[in-house]
Amino acid sequence: MRTVVLICRRLGRTLLLLALVAVGTILLMRFAPGYFSDAREMDAKYAQREQTELHQEEATAGTFGQLATGTFGGWLHGDLGSSRQYGVPVTELVRPRLRVTALLLVRGVTFGWLLAVCTAFPASLWRNGRTLTGMPFTLLLAIPTGAMATLCLLADMGGPVLVLSLLLAARDFKFLARVFNTAWTAPHLLQARAQGIRFDRLAAAHLLPHVAPQILGLATLSIVTALSAIVPIEVIFDVPGLGQLAWSAALNRDLPVLLTITLLMAAAVSCAGMIGPRERMVQTA
Amino acid sequence: MKRRVSVVVLALMVAAACVIVRLPGASYSAQDREVISSGATAHYWAGTDDVGRDRGVRVAVAVLLGLGGAAAAAAVTTAIAAGVGALAAFSAPAIASVLMLASDLFLSLPWLFLLMMVRSFLPLTTSPMHSAVVTFTILAALGWPACARAVYRGTLNLRSSEWMIQGRASGLRPAQLLRRHVLPHLLPLLVPQFLICVPAFIVAEANLGTLGLGIAQPLPSWGAMLQELDNSASLATSHWVYLPVIVLVMVLLLLESLTAEV
Repeated sequence: MRTVVLICRRLGRTLLLLALVAVGTILLMRFAPGYFSDAREMDAKYAQREQTELHQEEATAGTFGQLATGTFGGWLHGDLGSSRQYGVPVTELVRPRLRVTALLLVRGVTFGWLLAVCTAFPASLWRNGRTLTGMPFTLLLAIPTGAMATLCLLADMGGPVLVLSLLLAARDFKFLARVFNTAWTAPHLLQARAQGIRFDRLAAAHLLPHVAPQILGLATLSIVTALSAIVPIEVIFDVPGLGQLAWSAALNRDLPVLLTITLLMAAAVSCAGMIGPRERMVQTA
Repeated sequence: MKRRVSVVVLALMVAAACVIVRLPGASYSAQDREVISSGATAHYWAGTDDVGRDRGVRVAVAVLLGLGGAAAAAAVTTAIAAGVGALAAFSAPAIASVLMLASDLFLSLPWLFLLMMVRSFLPLTTSPMHSAVVTFTILAALGWPACARAVYRGTLNLRSSEWMIQGRASGLRPAQLLRRHVLPHLLPLLVPQFLICVPAFIVAEANLGTLGLGIAQPLPSWGAMLQELDNSASLATSHWVYLPVIVLVMVLLLLESLTAEV
């Protein structure tokens, strides 16, 4: 019963957060200083006609209420509104790209975690392991995602999955190594090791259950990191995913598309936050 | 020791950048159409970019602008976090819940998407300096929630400490308690948060700039300079194109070592 209440409470909080994100995003966009400015304004040939069109648009969808009604109406209609840039329903743009991005995220997060765990675990067993193994990861951490992707492209080595994996591994290595190291030196594990319990049993029965909640918490943070990284990665590698669509929508001031993607990302972040044991995570960090 | 070395190297880099920027004739925006995408020459020690601008001066300005902007944004975000965290800890539970819900809300927002969204809706006529201010302001406005949560926890612990109870019993007002006792004790928490924010903001600006949504041209920024790497023609002519990446990685490594030491 207590678990059900806890789940309901978390779910309610997530839904409330999502509703607030939607309202906040619309507010933010509407009151951004250049919301009604348009690239067409720069062209003298179209200036007069486009100015009139923009003023008409401002009059029809200018207030927050009109904007929110239009947006939520589009969602209730099932097509998430119409793209300002392409003139097609947003669902048509988002649906095929969602699969591409999801696949990239799953691969990137899986390989990144494998890399981080496979290096952090042995490093935690070795006295100077963390420092030495951590050096390449520290270097990777100092390279912005965009630069890393461009360098990979120039070197003709690796692709979007590699860049995402390296980024996540670099972010998570230090934390994982510290978690494993602390777990190995815990009194009950020292006792178990002194008693001569086999390594595999020790890891399966004592170490992994001990570190699982912290690892789960870190996994949720990895999803957040990966979501932010997909934009430069997809743009630079020309991957037709949501990140590339968001970038294109941002450059072309396509509110319905950008709003939908932002909300999708916020939903993913909120759901990831629901899974992770946040309190413990904060304390350990 | 390592921290001191990092601080000294960083200070030397900043000093060198200041000297380069102040050299006679140094300009980050002046274009020399006779020398485009060149390597090192007698006049341009780091070569020129694809429109003939001095790459050395541009990197120097990018160092100053990136570090200055990120440090200012980090200071603002740390101050907001300290304010929100302390306010939540010292106010009624209902207010604390609302403030923490607000921080959760900001944590739920995907940073890069939000930055892209706000940045893309700026007027098309935004001046380069204005775009730099706006970019770093947005970063500052979005970076506080995680830090505010940490400050809130820290302040709650301080609030229930015995010396705080003693202070309250002695008749100190909340403002006095905050200024004289809480803030000095929160400094060990706030300084690392500030140091973590600086490289994070530099990287965020670089990523935005790579996408063409950062600081507007001709003002040099890390992101705008990294865009040069997309130009395969200039890559073939000179290795100096890699200078911004190398300097950026050096700055980030130095900042990272500062954070690790703290």
